[in-house]
Amino acid sequence: MALPQAAALLAASLTLAVSAAAALADPPAAASRGPGASGLTGPATVVSPPKTTPSGSEALDVSLSPECRVPGSKLYTLARLGAVKLALKEKRPVRVLTVGGSSAGLGASATYPVKLETALERSLPNVDVVVESRGMQGEIASGAAERLRNMVAELEPDLVIWQVGTHDALARVDADVFATALAETVQWIKGHEIDVVLVNPVYTASLADDEYYTSLVRKVQEVAEHEGVPLVQRYEAMRYLSGLSQKGEGHLLGSQFRLNELGLRCMAEHVTRAITLSLLQADPGAPLAPVIVPPRDAAAKAASPPPSILVRPGD
Amino acid sequence: MREPNAIDFWRGLALVTIFINHIPGNTFERYTYSQYGISDAAELFVFLAGWSIGIATRGRDGRPEPRLKTVLRLLSRTIEVYRAQITIMALALAIIAGTALVLDNPLLLEWHNAGGFFADPIQSMVGVVLLTHQLGFFNILPLYVVLIGIAPVFVLVARVSRLAALALSFGLYAASLVFEWNLPSWPGEGGWFFDPLCWQLLLVLGFVGEDLNRRSPGLRAKSKRLVPLGIAIVATGVVLAVFEIRPDPLLVPEPRLFFAFDKTYLTPARLIHFLGVLLAFQTLYAVLAPRLGPVTGYLAGLGRNSLAVFSIGSLLSLAAQLVRFRTGGGVFVDISVVGSGLIALGFTAWFVEWRSRKPRPSSPQA
Repeated sequence: MALPQAAALLAASLTLAVSAAAALADPPAAASRGPGASGLTGPATVVSPPKTTPSGSEALDVSLSPECRVPGSKLYTLARLGAVKLALKEKRPVRVLTVGGSSAGLGASATYPVKLETALERSLPNVDVVVESRGMQGEIASGAAERLRNMVAELEPDLVIWQVGTHDALARVDADVFATALAETVQWIKGHEIDVVLVNPVYTASLADDEYYTSLVRKVQEVAEHEGVPLVQRYEAMRYLSGLSQKGEGHLLGSQFRLNELGLRCMAEHVTRAITLSLLQADPGAPLAPVIVPPRDAAAKAASPPPSILVRPGD
Repeated sequence: MREPNAIDFWRGLALVTIFINHIPGNTFERYTYSQYGISDAAELFVFLAGWSIGIATRGRDGRPEPRLKTVLRLLSRTIEVYRAQITIMALALAIIAGTALVLDNPLLLEWHNAGGFFADPIQSMVGVVLLTHQLGFFNILPLYVVLIGIAPVFVLVARVSRLAALALSFGLYAASLVFEWNLPSWPGEGGWFFDPLCWQLLLVLGFVGEDLNRRSPGLRAKSKRLVPLGIAIVATGVVLAVFEIRPDPLLVPEPRLFFAFDKTYLTPARLIHFLGVLLAFQTLYAVLAPRLGPVTGYLAGLGRNSLAVFSIGSLLSLAAQLVRFRTGGGVFVDISVVGSGLIALGFTAWFVEWRSRKPRPSSPQA
């Protein structure tokens, strides 16, 4: 039952991998850095200098909190979210399942799911959003994909927000095996008319030169593009933010941890931004087309009368 | 120190299997039997725990020991397991945090459910002590604590009527499947990785199985005739596992958990497969033991000291994961970490037995 699918998928993802690798404008690999760069000089050479006038290259997304501001292209790729739109159209609560990584909490008062729920409800006024979060153990390439299916069956959400890749990276699972298993699971979720948003793993300077790690991060992006699901580029966003916070702390033990905390703090905002912008996507259009980030006022205008974002001409 | 026997031998094998399977991605993973069936070593481990309770709560003549003694014995064992869990959780979190600091790599903090602890230590610390915050791969002992904690109920009921104990256990199992009962995770949401309300059935089956096995030679003969059935079930399991054939959990009829393959709830497919494994391999020890030479003694030694071996094994597999991650893995690294791990497990078993012999010298104390 799963074998022919897997074989076809493997072939598809291999061809995709080739074309995507060629087409990828901004591979996260950082070739210019010496080994063992401890974050002091590293990230700044990779990321376009943000302190100079941001209008020069690409505008920051000013709808985000100041410390979380990242240009749209570094933050997300968008795609259609049919199931969420349907829930909105039917005026029923949107059920969201967040899975994986650090979804369990962040400080006693504002856990990631709570933050996400609040942020989503703020950007989708008059809509009830119910966020359920689940920790996850294991690798997608082995047991975790199966556990995710059981979780989805248990909760039957409209949208799954899936932080993916960390455990497979820690186990050094073969990147292609990982991509195949991920694509298969994403297809399964979408096949049941449930939306998926993928979130790729964290950026950290100590792994910026790790070819295996960056290839795994890229695989998440490729699968998201190929399967036409939105992707929150946590890796790219954090790499961008790392360029902003150079305070000469590189010599301290655990200097990367500050960035990590900032990344976690911004994640709910980043995920929410990707979802609300994905909901603005016109339905029949090519879901993979590069996205023009709407300027702030357009996004705000569209978001203010809640139902109108849902019933656009494209619907 | 008792001689090698089937129970210790299989428990030792389960411990080795769990150790290897808890180093995901390693070369030897594919050679463990867990990859070729629907159930895995966890089922074997819990079943044998029930079987051991049956042995431990009776005298050599098979007469049950006094009830109070049984209750106290199980209570004492519960405390031992709880203590082991708290200790290895503290060590595991420190190993993860320490490695993350040394490598300056916060990715490691998101190691299987550890992210919650480091993001929110205030609540999570309470959760660790309550056993409701569990790390991935460190979730078998919390199950054990609950199972041995509630075991006196089943043991005492079974002394009056085995059927009543089985009915109680099976009723709780079935109800948990229908209503999806589980103990809660906290902080965070969801339930335990191993649902004790479901997994208790295996413990009770092990306990009652030991009782029946000892009492009724006729039943033993009957179960031997069921070896072919067991082999058929095992063969089916191999096919299903290798070709990854399993029901789509969103398409199965209600009650969903009766049909899905789900480790958390020990769903019927896993249970049936495990019973098939038992039937198929029930006589295998007698065949294997004389032929395996020192391996038999090694595995039985691990099985005799299962709590210590399991605890050390959990930490060793975590360390092995980190070594694999740091070095990039590969066959050479895998041989090194798994090989040295197996030696360390053997040493642990030997050391525990040496320590328990040591303080009781026959010579008078100074």
